[in-house]
Amino acid sequence: MTEEKKPEERKKRRTATEAASRIGPMVKAMVGEVMQAKEEKKPIAYSFICCCYDEIIRAMDIVPHWVENYAGICGAKRDAQRFLERAEAENFSRSLCTYALCGLGFDAWREELGEMPPESPWGGQVKPDVMLGSGQMLCDPRNKWFQAAQHYMPDVPVYDVGLPWPSYESDYDYREVQEYYVSYIVEELKGLVKFLEKHTDRKMDWENLSELVDLTDKTWNLIWETYELRQAVPSPMGTGDAMNTMVPIVFMMGTQQAYDFFQDLNKELKEKIAKKEGEVPDEKYRLLWGGGLPAWFALSDFNYFNSKGAVFPVETTYRMIEATYNFDIDLSKISDPLEHIAWRWVKFWTYWHDRARKRPGSHPDVERLIKYIEDYKIDGIVMHEAFSCRSWHPGLIWQLNLLKKVYRDIPSLVLESDIVDISSYNEADTRARIDAFIDPLEAVKR
Amino acid sequence: MSHCFAGVDIGSTMTKVVIMNQSVLASVIGPTGPEHRKLANRVMEEALKKAKLPFKDITYVVATGYGRINVPFADKQITEISCHARGVAYLLPEARTVIDIGGQDSKGIKLRDGRAVDFVMNDKCAAGTGRFLEVAAEELGVRLEDMGKLSLEAKKAVRISNTCTVFAAQEVVTKLSGGAALPDIIAGLHEAIATRVYGMLRRLKIEREVALTGGGAKNIGLVKALEAKLGFAVQVPPEPLLTGAIGAALLGRDIVKEAEEKGTPLSRAERRLQEAALFT
Amino acid sequence: MPEKSALKGLAEADRYYQDYGLRARELKKQGKKIIGYLCAFTPAEVITAAGFVPVRIKGDVNEPITKADTEMETIICPLVRSCFDMALKGHYEYLDGLVVPHACDSICRTYDIWKYNLKLPYAHFINMPHGTDDASLAFYQDVLNTFRTSLGKFAGKEISNQALAEAIKLHNQNRAKVKELYELRKASPPLVSGEELTKVLIAVMSLPVEESIKMLGEVIAEMKERGVSAQKQARIMVIGAQVDDIAFIKLIEDSGAWVVADDLCPGAREFLSSVDVTADPVVGLADRYLRKIKCGRTYREMKGNYEEYLEDRFGHMGRMIDDFGVDGVVLYIYKYCDPYGFEVPQIKSYIEAKGTPVLYLEDEYSMSTIGRLRTRIQAFLELLGSK
Repeated sequence: MTEEKKPEERKKRRTATEAASRIGPMVKAMVGEVMQAKEEKKPIAYSFICCCYDEIIRAMDIVPHWVENYAGICGAKRDAQRFLERAEAENFSRSLCTYALCGLGFDAWREELGEMPPESPWGGQVKPDVMLGSGQMLCDPRNKWFQAAQHYMPDVPVYDVGLPWPSYESDYDYREVQEYYVSYIVEELKGLVKFLEKHTDRKMDWENLSELVDLTDKTWNLIWETYELRQAVPSPMGTGDAMNTMVPIVFMMGTQQAYDFFQDLNKELKEKIAKKEGEVPDEKYRLLWGGGLPAWFALSDFNYFNSKGAVFPVETTYRMIEATYNFDIDLSKISDPLEHIAWRWVKFWTYWHDRARKRPGSHPDVERLIKYIEDYKIDGIVMHEAFSCRSWHPGLIWQLNLLKKVYRDIPSLVLESDIVDISSYNEADTRARIDAFIDPLEAVKR
Repeated sequence: MSHCFAGVDIGSTMTKVVIMNQSVLASVIGPTGPEHRKLANRVMEEALKKAKLPFKDITYVVATGYGRINVPFADKQITEISCHARGVAYLLPEARTVIDIGGQDSKGIKLRDGRAVDFVMNDKCAAGTGRFLEVAAEELGVRLEDMGKLSLEAKKAVRISNTCTVFAAQEVVTKLSGGAALPDIIAGLHEAIATRVYGMLRRLKIEREVALTGGGAKNIGLVKALEAKLGFAVQVPPEPLLTGAIGAALLGRDIVKEAEEKGTPLSRAERRLQEAALFT
Repeated sequence: MPEKSALKGLAEADRYYQDYGLRARELKKQGKKIIGYLCAFTPAEVITAAGFVPVRIKGDVNEPITKADTEMETIICPLVRSCFDMALKGHYEYLDGLVVPHACDSICRTYDIWKYNLKLPYAHFINMPHGTDDASLAFYQDVLNTFRTSLGKFAGKEISNQALAEAIKLHNQNRAKVKELYELRKASPPLVSGEELTKVLIAVMSLPVEESIKMLGEVIAEMKERGVSAQKQARIMVIGAQVDDIAFIKLIEDSGAWVVADDLCPGAREFLSSVDVTADPVVGLADRYLRKIKCGRTYREMKGNYEEYLEDRFGHMGRMIDDFGVDGVVLYIYKYCDPYGFEVPQIKSYIEAKGTPVLYLEDEYSMSTIGRLRTRIQAFLELLGSK
């Protein structure tokens, strides 16, 4: 039987910064490294972004294969449909997370063939030695995907790291519960180290781990400072580029490479600001990408915004860092690296709680929008609702409604399609909606 | 004595009646259409006239298809899944998998020893059904029945990425105004349906031979597109539209035979050809 | 002051099913406080122990979702959207508080939407972990204690160990009654139909636990006395998430089958396991909700090999198929349901390997979509009949 293929040509997105343009080859090299590792019989772990284990796997010299990244690549290359269809043939609903469907479809196919599916993007996704899931307060696929993948790879063990954080509540403050959250996360991370030592030939190098944890703090701070530079008018870098520069943030944390990358970007942005060189030559509107994962197959829509003089100096998506010196504890004083990771995690997720308490009826997610609107001089908000993802996309409309109530009315646009499944996307319709959104901005500006 | 059996298949767009004893005596295909929905009796009368039989000579009537509950003179209602399985087992005994592409739905059936053992069905979304093609044909200003032939002139099928029928229709117009050749677009549409149907069908783990029935089987372009997906040729009955009605008549024959063998009484409907009192 | 209805047993259940929340509204008028909650993972024992009436929030398949869409995305589980729509339309106006457990994304990620829209005097999120390892269990005990303290504050009185132990005892009795009711399904023909049982369990979700125990007792006595005779039909088990309406069960039974078993909420998943009596009642509670209830939202760690893992996760379904003489299984999963959607291939192959056919249906929680499943269900029954 033949399999569905071949993708349609894709329009490449133009980047504003030189640094962002380097990301493509970096990702390709990253996928290549996993292939290489497989040949060298190094342990490979299927991994998710933002699961607290970046430094742990790096310190143990375990090679991560980022499954969301691989699905995103298939989506960006417009070559995901055949994997989604394969997942559907396995009885997975097409309404489920399409990162997971793409990955599961790929795995099912690879395991059936005993080799990579024909013309797999960038060589393919290798069979791992372990799979590292997590249970958080978002993203069910993080504990369902790998469990489902065991249907095709029953011999690959899974570890699921419990990583909750305190919700924003009116009946108590998160500080009343944070200690037991941290203890739990530390126990779960200890369990992870034990699991990895059992299922791979690697041992934890605790000293190395401590160093990497410090390196991550340093990198977080550098990223924060670098992104804050984008407040400049005109803004030197937009969300389109940030969807590239997310790569070192979420796939390379705990590596010197990530730090070096942001040093280069920092330097480049400062140079651009000195020259008053913006993302577009004639910046008219400053927009906030206020939520939702991007449609990886339609990143050129950011160029379409640019063509109308609209730029995105800031986004909430993939800005998974804060300046650690702004936390109410000094992380550098925590000697145990696992505890350090746990506190950083809890502090990151509760970072906006205190601000929300100060504004009656507000909420941390909305406070973050308000702060960005003010700091980055925002004229309008754009969000994207990806139909297949119930982690980041519930609550977007509500946040806009609440923003209007507790702050002010600000023009907004919610685009609809998906992260990977291009069949949900209509370019003409999307662009018509962008036009309809931009025109009134003109009036507001005047 | 030789019994006669009737199968009445009320599909979303076509009503089909078959009268059989050992073989097909008469068959009629008429449109279902909103104004025809009540008229299963008329199509039945026509078939009886062709077979030169009075209604009382029909031993057993089985109704199937989407409108099966609206055949008051039927002795039994059986789903189109079982009827297509039975029909294909009779017409194409080598088939192990059935694909039926109808006007409003499409289905896949897995056969073992002439019986359905598993099935999949899509009736929620027009993609993967005749409706998808109908909407696109209207958008392109082409007659539906010409689509198959036209697509054979395609040089390179245009990829239609939207699965939503409404969006796909828009996409087709955009592609046409963008200079794509009409046959290439139509071939792309066939490919899109074939992809949807194939995706659904694969849930059954396809086994050869594969039979194709329903209106979709009459579209040569769609047949070719499906064969390209499958990687081998499909079998098509001489009149693919009649498969369900033939299966219905045969299942009626099976029921009568079993009752006779066991000596159990047949439960039968009132012997009167009448309009459906109600169609919901 | 309105009195409790004079109806008994099944007739009473029917009344509470038809007019959901009726009893809660009556009790509210008598000065009782009512706490609404989502999902079977809310430990209703704590609410009972605080002196409140727990009412599980349900949707309505007959009511088109119209108001919810302006606040809640349409990519959320259609059941959760329907529940929220009903709340916005005033069907839960009697609530004094809302408790939402960390069940799945569709519930967890919409908690704020619920809270900010309903603006009830009390709202609490129970941050239940996904894992079932010892660390997760210890964490969950802390989470339950946070809830207990918070609800006690709202009640103006700390929830004592004794009050909690008593509430646990009552809820266990309630579950024992449901278990007794399930025993009646084993007969051929079953002494209680799937439709009746579903109705009763939905009524149960809306009653104070003592009243529920009484009603269940009456229903059981009534069913036992009632003579049922019918021609043999296929015995069906339904597996799915929350099915809080009779429509789907009725569709199967109207097609000529008996629904005799389930892994549903409300249903076997929710009622067939009880809380162990422990010195610290929270320990038993945590263990039951985290480890005993087997639901796709909970991540069970793999012990042993893969076959043993499937047995650990789905063995209870297999046992029910045997115990209740099930001929075929309908796997009924809502669109956008990540916890169950990802399990479909595993559940399907696990059950089929045991020789029981499975019909997998995806649905959208509305009367119009349920109706479209008719042909598939009938075809499945024909398939079972010709086996």
